[in-house]
Amino acid sequence: MRGAPAATTAPVEIGHPELDERTATDRPWIVVVWNDPVNLMVYVVWVLQKLFGYSREKATRLMHQVHYEGKAAVSDGSREQCEADVARLHAHGLWATMEQPS
Amino acid sequence: MRFRTAPDGGVDLLLDPIEVGFLQTLPDQLRACYEAPADDPARARLFPRAYLDPTEETAEREWQALAQPGLLRDRLDALATMQAHLEAATPRGRRRRVTLGASDVALWAAVLNDVRLAFGARLGVEDDTDFSRIGPDDPLGAEKAAYVWCSALQGALVEAMLLGLPD
Repeated sequence: MRGAPAATTAPVEIGHPELDERTATDRPWIVVVWNDPVNLMVYVVWVLQKLFGYSREKATRLMHQVHYEGKAAVSDGSREQCEADVARLHAHGLWATMEQPS
Repeated sequence: MRFRTAPDGGVDLLLDPIEVGFLQTLPDQLRACYEAPADDPARARLFPRAYLDPTEETAEREWQALAQPGLLRDRLDALATMQAHLEAATPRGRRRRVTLGASDVALWAAVLNDVRLAFGARLGVEDDTDFSRIGPDDPLGAEKAAYVWCSALQGALVEAMLLGLPD
């Protein structure tokens, strides 16, 4: 996972608003997979391994987190990367959304 | 149904004629779900939103315009490929034999997953739903039995695919 974005209390240079803009748009997004009563556990493991190249152990850990905690962050990156990951997960029938943690 | 994993990651299916007949009904059922109104429960589950945040509505609409035509086209292509596999089934005694290569297995698993998502949404499946006992007078008995059967086949296909991935 990437580090947290810089705190917004840092001094702001009035003359460079584009810097603030870039800080906001560069903050990483995460892709969240939600628990679903239909998807088979083994299928979720297989999809996470196939799409993200995760080990069996990591994919299984994420699947358990989805199942027992209701959701898990499975990938992160720019808005465009996360939109592509969400589409790939939807193509496989997983219930995925994306958000930008504050 | 009899099931055998091939060394190349493919699968050999021996299906009863009634099972082949049932599988052949699935593409039309799924096409109807894909074309259903956006608020249909099955359609909504098959094509969910990317953004939950209502302030991202513009990004959501742009994402849907960009991604959903491809998601729909790939699904329709998969249905046509599955139909071709079923039509190519060869007689084996009183059964029909369907031979699937490794990539075909992934395609079938995805189609069966859509079938289960669509049936599951219509049947109101929840975490503790148990269809292991279906009463003879249950008006939804056929749909529940179909869901259970698709779950068994999809599970077997996924187990076969997991053998081909690293631990």
